[in-house]
Amino acid sequence: MGPPKKSKKDRSGGDKSSKKRRAEDEAFTQLVEDNDSLDATESDGIPGAASKNAETNDEQVNTDEYGAKDYRGQMQLRPDHGNRPLWVAPNGHVFLESFSPVYKHAHDFLIAISEPVCRPEHIHEYKLTAYSLYAAVSVGLQTHDIVEYLKRLSKTSIPEGILEFIRLCTLSYGKVKLVLKHNKYFIESPHPEVLQKLLKDPVIQKCRLIRSEGEGFIQGTVDSKAITQFGTKLPPGADDKATEDPAGAAAAAADGAAVVPDDITDFYEKIDKEEEDEDEANLKTVSFEVSQEKIEVIQKRCIEIEHPLLAEYDFRNDTNNPDINIDLKPAAVLRPYQEKSLRKMFGNGRARSGVIVLPCGAGKSLVGVTACCTVRKRALVLCNSGVSVEQWKQQFKMWSTADDSMICRFTSEAKDKPMGCGILVTTYSMITHTQKRSWEAEQTMRWLQEQEWGIMVLDEVHTIPAKMFRRVLTIVQSHCKLGLTATLLREDDKIADLNFLIGPKLYEANWLELQKKGYIARVQCAEVWCPMSPEFYREYLTTKTSKKMLLYVMNPSKFRSCQFLIKYHEQRGDKTIVFSDNVFALKHYAIKMNKPFIYGPTSQNERIQILQNFKFNSKVNTIFVSKVADTSFDLPEANVLVQISSHGGSRRQEAQRLGRILRAKKGAIAEEYNAFFYTLVSQDTMEMSYSRKRQRFLVNQGYSYKVITHLKGMDTDTNLMYGLQEEQAQLLQLVLSASDLDCEDEKLPGEPGYRPGGTTKRAGGLSSMSGGDDAIYYEHRRKNVGSVHPLFKKFRG
Amino acid sequence: MVNVMKGVLVECDPAMKQFLLHLDEKLALGRKFIIQDLDESHLFISTDIVEVLQARVDDLMDRISFPLHDKDA
Repeated sequence: MGPPKKSKKDRSGGDKSSKKRRAEDEAFTQLVEDNDSLDATESDGIPGAASKNAETNDEQVNTDEYGAKDYRGQMQLRPDHGNRPLWVAPNGHVFLESFSPVYKHAHDFLIAISEPVCRPEHIHEYKLTAYSLYAAVSVGLQTHDIVEYLKRLSKTSIPEGILEFIRLCTLSYGKVKLVLKHNKYFIESPHPEVLQKLLKDPVIQKCRLIRSEGEGFIQGTVDSKAITQFGTKLPPGADDKATEDPAGAAAAAADGAAVVPDDITDFYEKIDKEEEDEDEANLKTVSFEVSQEKIEVIQKRCIEIEHPLLAEYDFRNDTNNPDINIDLKPAAVLRPYQEKSLRKMFGNGRARSGVIVLPCGAGKSLVGVTACCTVRKRALVLCNSGVSVEQWKQQFKMWSTADDSMICRFTSEAKDKPMGCGILVTTYSMITHTQKRSWEAEQTMRWLQEQEWGIMVLDEVHTIPAKMFRRVLTIVQSHCKLGLTATLLREDDKIADLNFLIGPKLYEANWLELQKKGYIARVQCAEVWCPMSPEFYREYLTTKTSKKMLLYVMNPSKFRSCQFLIKYHEQRGDKTIVFSDNVFALKHYAIKMNKPFIYGPTSQNERIQILQNFKFNSKVNTIFVSKVADTSFDLPEANVLVQISSHGGSRRQEAQRLGRILRAKKGAIAEEYNAFFYTLVSQDTMEMSYSRKRQRFLVNQGYSYKVITHLKGMDTDTNLMYGLQEEQAQLLQLVLSASDLDCEDEKLPGEPGYRPGGTTKRAGGLSSMSGGDDAIYYEHRRKNVGSVHPLFKKFRG
Repeated sequence: MVNVMKGVLVECDPAMKQFLLHLDEKLALGRKFIIQDLDESHLFISTDIVEVLQARVDDLMDRISFPLHDKDA
């Protein structure tokens, strides 16, 4: 899936119209709507090279009936191929043997330069893309190194097309940096000729700030820096160990039966070193100053002339913004992968902007907290719900020395006094809110806009629409941005834009490896097939689409399976979360089984109360939640997840939901699995197809799904509901009389179909409005009627 | 007068039987083909329709399964 191709011509055309649109945006403030004309805006900010794609390089190659491609003509097998771990196909896909002795070397390298496509147990597939190469350059790899190392690792010769592709994508990237030093902006580059080229551009010329006549380039050196220590934790030996470790592993591998070709190990060490002590050698750089107001312009222009600026923040030399006094607590120990990801971010003693991808439950918050503690400037944390605001606050208090007075929450429920605090935690919608605010909130917003933030942490960064994000960027001035997510993935491929809005992907962890090392739970994924009851299937075949969905969700045997699983796991003492996207089903299931449930309209207080009970009350072992809990509901206790309805074929949702139970479980090491993820699927319906679709992402991460066609013991259990024909018939009646609105998934703020307040738009003719469609007229929004005279109240159901 | 019809006994799960009944009712295959509805999981249908019917059921199965190896889908 490559980025959309755009010809030069319609790009420049698009830019013009988008500038106009930008102006309109300010006045026009509907944020949630996601219309088509948006595309024009979204294509800017992305350099032309990003639209290059290696995927089509092999169109003329023969493909056999199974889809295998014959590359023998283009690739020569090398005589010592047995010792080398990878193949590089002409279409940019790279295949890595994970059992190879040099796996570790190759793996680290591939993570840096390419996107993981699929990582099951034995062979991993990666793909070289324009974005991934951009990311590689920005963490300090050079074109030459990439090509050279790839050559050494490959079993075959590297196809010419790929070399060309790498050169094209990397040569112009990463050569110039935008550095903020002593509160002045500099364009810095180790290559004088590139700067010369930039300065010839009339637009950039105008932006240059010349303090004295006839000033040349500022010559400078990047001073060697002590490797950034993260907080107080590392005892001196630990860091050394980390650096030696790969070398040690290599040595061990070399001692073994398999011989690692020397050139690979040598080069690995070299690259590894370079990554860490990249600038140790006092690199000569040249730079010129630019005026602050023109930063926007210059960034845009640089992208147009294919030299995107890498933003770096020299936070140690920033004297204008006061340091905030926080440190990591000594008890906070970073796991190796967390440290590695942070090392990518603070690689040369400055902070880079970028995205770090870690599975849910692998400690993303700690990474965020550590980053804030490292920068030690004012920090802004953005997340996507009020609950996660609370959770972030707790995380800060748990891992760092920050106390209540330093952390300010800014949500519709909790508004702390922002003045004088170091860390502000808020939600995306709070910042981008455009309707009238309270006076208090207005004050906070003004304060927020006036600040120069040292670091901005963006939680669950994949969820925000590009447009909302742009708005955040126009409001908040921050020196570096750290995006955190578990699933850098969207069904609409807009994810690529994030690369250029925030920064490149700095690190992506391998789920299976973390699982093996016990950092995240070992999850058994299962798909449970529930046969449709004949009556329900009959209706399913004849009714229209929206109702179909309700029919397969409310399938009695699904209900029974769900009840059975809940019972089974309650007996084991597990904590279970049940997910349903459909509110009608959610309520029905929960009320029938007498369990608490949380969905959109549930108030913040009630939510917290239910969650607290779930955590600490041994009598509440099961809760039902709608998709409000998909992301950033931190429920470390939960280890069983049952999914009864879901949002079509969304891979992201599947992964996010799995994330709810991924947090490593204490004890229970003896068992092979310590967490369970069930998806209930009604047989012979569209749900089967959705389910397959949803699983793709996790399958690519190396998870396998077990299909359960029959739950043992379910037939003999007489306590399950809906065992009798009549009960099932009643349920069917209930489903059939449900309104169209009930058939829809819940809509959350920020989604296209969401409408704030009580009003909802119903599709359908006048006849269905008046109840002429089916059997019963069903009134819903009774609660919202509000001012009814007490006299009439008793007549209302 | 004795009327002889050639038929095939079909055994299926209850849900699939509903699918067949549905096809029969809606005349989706051009005509009625179920000769006798025997019980929950058995039907007696005319022989000559079997091929068409098989194609139709395959079709249903294709529609609800998702091609896994097709990455771009």
